[in-house]
Amino acid sequence: MGLAPHAQRRIAVVLADVLGEPREVALEVARFLDGYLRRVPFQAAIGLRLVIWAVTWLPVLFVGVPLPVDRLSREMRLRLVDRWSHAHLYFLREGFYLLKAIALMGWGADARVRDRLGIGPLAAERP
Amino acid sequence: MSDDVADFVVVGSGAAGATAALVLAEAGREVVVLEEGPEVRDEDRGLGPSEAFLRLFRDQGTQVAMGRSVIPILQGRCLGGTTVVNGAIVWRLPEDAYDRAFGAIGAARAVPLAEIHARMDRIERDLSVAPAPDELLGGNGALMKRAIERLGWKGHAIRRNVVGCRGSGRCLEACPTRRKRSMEQTYLPRAARLGADVRAGHEVRTIDTSAGRAVSVSGVRHDGAPFRVAARRGVVLAASAVQSPCILRRSGLGPRAHVGAHFRLHPGTAVAGVYDEPVRIWEGATQSFEVDEFRPRGFKIEVVGLPVELAGVRLPGVGEGFQRSVAEFPHMAVWGVQVRAEAEGTVAPQGGRARIAYTPTRGDMETFREGVKRLAEMHFAAGARRVFPGVHGGPEVLSSPDELPKLDDLPLDPRDWSLISSHLFSSCRMSADERTGVAGFDGAVHGVRGLWVLDASALPNNLGVNPQHTIMALAMLLSERIAG
Repeated sequence: MGLAPHAQRRIAVVLADVLGEPREVALEVARFLDGYLRRVPFQAAIGLRLVIWAVTWLPVLFVGVPLPVDRLSREMRLRLVDRWSHAHLYFLREGFYLLKAIALMGWGADARVRDRLGIGPLAAERP
Repeated sequence: MSDDVADFVVVGSGAAGATAALVLAEAGREVVVLEEGPEVRDEDRGLGPSEAFLRLFRDQGTQVAMGRSVIPILQGRCLGGTTVVNGAIVWRLPEDAYDRAFGAIGAARAVPLAEIHARMDRIERDLSVAPAPDELLGGNGALMKRAIERLGWKGHAIRRNVVGCRGSGRCLEACPTRRKRSMEQTYLPRAARLGADVRAGHEVRTIDTSAGRAVSVSGVRHDGAPFRVAARRGVVLAASAVQSPCILRRSGLGPRAHVGAHFRLHPGTAVAGVYDEPVRIWEGATQSFEVDEFRPRGFKIEVVGLPVELAGVRLPGVGEGFQRSVAEFPHMAVWGVQVRAEAEGTVAPQGGRARIAYTPTRGDMETFREGVKRLAEMHFAAGARRVFPGVHGGPEVLSSPDELPKLDDLPLDPRDWSLISSHLFSSCRMSADERTGVAGFDGAVHGVRGLWVLDASALPNNLGVNPQHTIMALAMLLSERIAG
């Protein structure tokens, strides 16, 4: 189970908003999610895939607009992300943190991010 | 199907399995060690958190306990088990923890503390255990040391099983320079030199019995081929507090009411503080300093050198707000609190995985509330400008110690907290008889001959201190008796 290219492009729009990163970094993170979903056990992959599907297609739950997330205005998307991360319903809120946690692993693997933070390369230098 | 035989089959290659294998091999017994996970090659080490999870952790790091909230349960799944991916912390079993665990079930005569400590002496020599020197404290540890000096609390450099540690801060990714004296570096190769047959990629599914005696184990190799290994003298189960009860349940062995019951944890959470000075958390030992001032109150505080990928999860803000928070990462110290929780959960096999049920009690959450407040207090004492408690429904940021009283009102619902655990206990606990537990004081499973449980699942209770040392010492002591 992975993320098709069009699904990667859509979720990258949200990831850019969540992480505050430019689109090209967010697209790399979306590609990481694709690879991650292909490597983790099915039961774990299905949970993350469900979160990605829901945030892509059900912004109406958070902002009342019946459009997929990549067709919302930036202002509307930021409102969505803010409401989602502060949702009172535990499983909605944890869905946000699940996506953020996995996305951060792809984000932290990006050399541009690591350079900006000054934290050195992802992989240790070999002795 | 391959079908071979040894005196003893040891299931699991972590702290308990490797120790048992070495002791049995030293006694001249023929030993086969079966590890479900892969060997850890040089190219698997120090690759960053995502590859570590995907290559070296159980269920690629996705294992969780489900209850009122979801709690990630981290375990190594590789040759050497969790010792490969832990923080290299070695804690001698203190008397109070011994009394709560072994004394409380009447095992003081069968498992004397002096005998445990004698094995710990050997383990400490074998694994080159020593306190982290000042140069490995890193900014994270140095700030914790400064905090307790200012507050007058008890704390110390962590005693670690390392040789020539370079302070790369990558303990959790499998040491890239093999400086950690984990089991695949120490006891497993030593056992192999004495003739033990150590096999990675062998998942044991069941233990087979004949006339009430364990006679073999069956399972599946990493390539999908089934295997069976027969045991002339017996089977040592050391597959962890999650997998050992699952194997017993699948095999229909042990007192059913207790196999997988009484599962205990040290759940933990972390609090970050931002300092004017650079902290550079990625430099120094991953875990270098700890505070045991509050152990009598049920919690322990440690430095946790988390990578930015993990530390960033609960940082406040989205978008630009997140960028502002994470930009301070080089100036951030992250410290954790581990709670000796009173809650009991359950573990049972479900499909190819384990189903773990666990919910902290209200008392556990009150302990967490106190622990987080103490962490915040320490950060301010060390000079932090801001502290991120990381609890939903509480303040996102504290900017002054005057705000500490706000933490008295932190919610007690575990769903508002970000908890995690890697210290797992008691799912096949020792007991005097089958009415209250799974194994006797000698580790022998009640009602089955030739089958012993020697890992953390056999511990009668959670300890309140890091468990690797106690797991190894108990496995060493009981294996000596099994070897005869």
